[in-house]
Amino acid sequence: MKLAASPPNNVSASLEFLLQEIPGLRTKWAGPRRLRVDLPAETLPALLELLKGRAGYVHLSAISCVDWPTQNEFELVYHLWSYELNVLVMAHIRIPRDPGVYLSVYDLYHPAAFFERDIHEMFGLYFEGSPDMGKFILTEWDGPPPMRKEFDSEAWVMNQFEWQDYRPDWLAEIEAKGGGITTRPQDIRKDGKP
Amino acid sequence: MRPENYQSVSQPPSNEFELFYGPNHPGIEGNYALKVRVHGDEVTSARADGGYLHRGFEKLMEGRLWIQNIALVPRICVPDPVPMEVCYSLAVEELGGIEVPLRAQWIRVMQLELSRIAAHLFFFGGHAATTGMYTPMFWGITDRDLILDLFEELSGGRVYHIYNIPGGVRRDLPPGYLERVSKTLDYLESRLPDYDNLLFTNKVFVHRATGIGAMTQEQALEWGVTGPNLRATGLAFDVRRDDPYLVYDQLDFDIPVEAAGDAWARSLVRRSELKESLRILRQVVAKLPHIGGAIRAPIPNPLAWNLPAGDVYTRVESSKGELAYYVVSNGGDKPYRVHVRGPSAMHAVQVLEHLATGARIEDVAQIMFSLDACPPEVDR
Repeated sequence: MKLAASPPNNVSASLEFLLQEIPGLRTKWAGPRRLRVDLPAETLPALLELLKGRAGYVHLSAISCVDWPTQNEFELVYHLWSYELNVLVMAHIRIPRDPGVYLSVYDLYHPAAFFERDIHEMFGLYFEGSPDMGKFILTEWDGPPPMRKEFDSEAWVMNQFEWQDYRPDWLAEIEAKGGGITTRPQDIRKDGKP
Repeated sequence: MRPENYQSVSQPPSNEFELFYGPNHPGIEGNYALKVRVHGDEVTSARADGGYLHRGFEKLMEGRLWIQNIALVPRICVPDPVPMEVCYSLAVEELGGIEVPLRAQWIRVMQLELSRIAAHLFFFGGHAATTGMYTPMFWGITDRDLILDLFEELSGGRVYHIYNIPGGVRRDLPPGYLERVSKTLDYLESRLPDYDNLLFTNKVFVHRATGIGAMTQEQALEWGVTGPNLRATGLAFDVRRDDPYLVYDQLDFDIPVEAAGDAWARSLVRRSELKESLRILRQVVAKLPHIGGAIRAPIPNPLAWNLPAGDVYTRVESSKGELAYYVVSNGGDKPYRVHVRGPSAMHAVQVLEHLATGARIEDVAQIMFSLDACPPEVDR
């Protein structure tokens, strides 16, 4: 069975008709059950209320954050699923990286608490009204938010730790006898492969 | 917390105590902690504490080639690694516009369902052990090992297979493999009555699990519960049927539901799913010999492979619930951003906190395990 390019006409048409109520919104079907929506950040709460109240979008699947330092913006993507329409709406908004503050949607979707806390921890983006912006995963981390693009993990490791050459005496003794982790000629197979 | 950072705090006189479940506790499949405040033996509040398994996968993936990440993703969930590989591969394929050959899709379904059975067997053992019954634990782990044997033969790895790659699967089935899968299925099917006798109709287990950690369907939807935990509250939703991927729309299977929403119902849903997975696998074993063709689509040189800019959200039904990957490409040879949405991110944090509050001490471990949460999915 080959899937149709978009859901049954009545579903897609009614959904798009409903979304017309939000000003400045653009829609694009990204797959049979994927509707991409781009809208200004200030209208997102209105969109979520509309979707939850009138189209059965009760499930907030995830909130994803993408860092775009060249445009000095964070992109927030709200993935919403309706158990009735079986269509995923991905609402994309952009907010300035500085000061990096946005509104929590916890009052509409309780799963937002986890995702907002996670984004706050990893990207340093603050959500006003979220129930808990405390640390969760990086409990004792006091460096910059690590998921930001300017955070270079390798440079941080090089700066933080001293590299040590691990050559204990016992290994040197074994290697002197031709052992250790070196490959000996007699270990190489006849077909030349290691 | 590191010892040097610990500071003792003097508390006002109180009858409440703080108890720590974890970070090393058999009530959950990995290192994860739950801090509970207890008054007598009743839990008055609970706080989940994660981060013990944080390895920064999302950041690591931004620094590796599309193909290299295949070796990273299964490590995000140890008991059920195949959905991770498949979900990531589906995302890369959708970004690159790659059509996966039919044979590879059927092989993937076989792997996914084998992995689901292995994860559920692990779950039964663990859930029974939190009620003080240890035999199901040994049985579950022993039978799970037979599936790991099959994985080993197929991919060389027992737990981390690194078998699915963008475009298809790494190699074809070895000769006689389907017969061996069939034999294992026969054996597992013959074990189901034993499991019922040992666990699911065992009065001790039924009494211990009934009414524990119960939630209504409204609560489940409000808290973002998915997968078997949601189906245990009566909502028949399954990504395999309602947002189909691979060839699940060509397979015949039912979606088991239970109404009670407690630990007992969650266990029963998984027991029925075991049966459904066996049913799916029988269909796959019957169908696979008649599907020829390639096992992977040609992909460009993976060491110099730039994917077109775009973003994609792929979802699969793992044994724990709705697993999703949000992958963004900026046209480069590495992902620009990967966000892993593990089902346990909901189950092990807010759902667990809600359910544990008001429970009794002896039930906390069972509530933890009955949600079948996988802590590395939370920490990533």
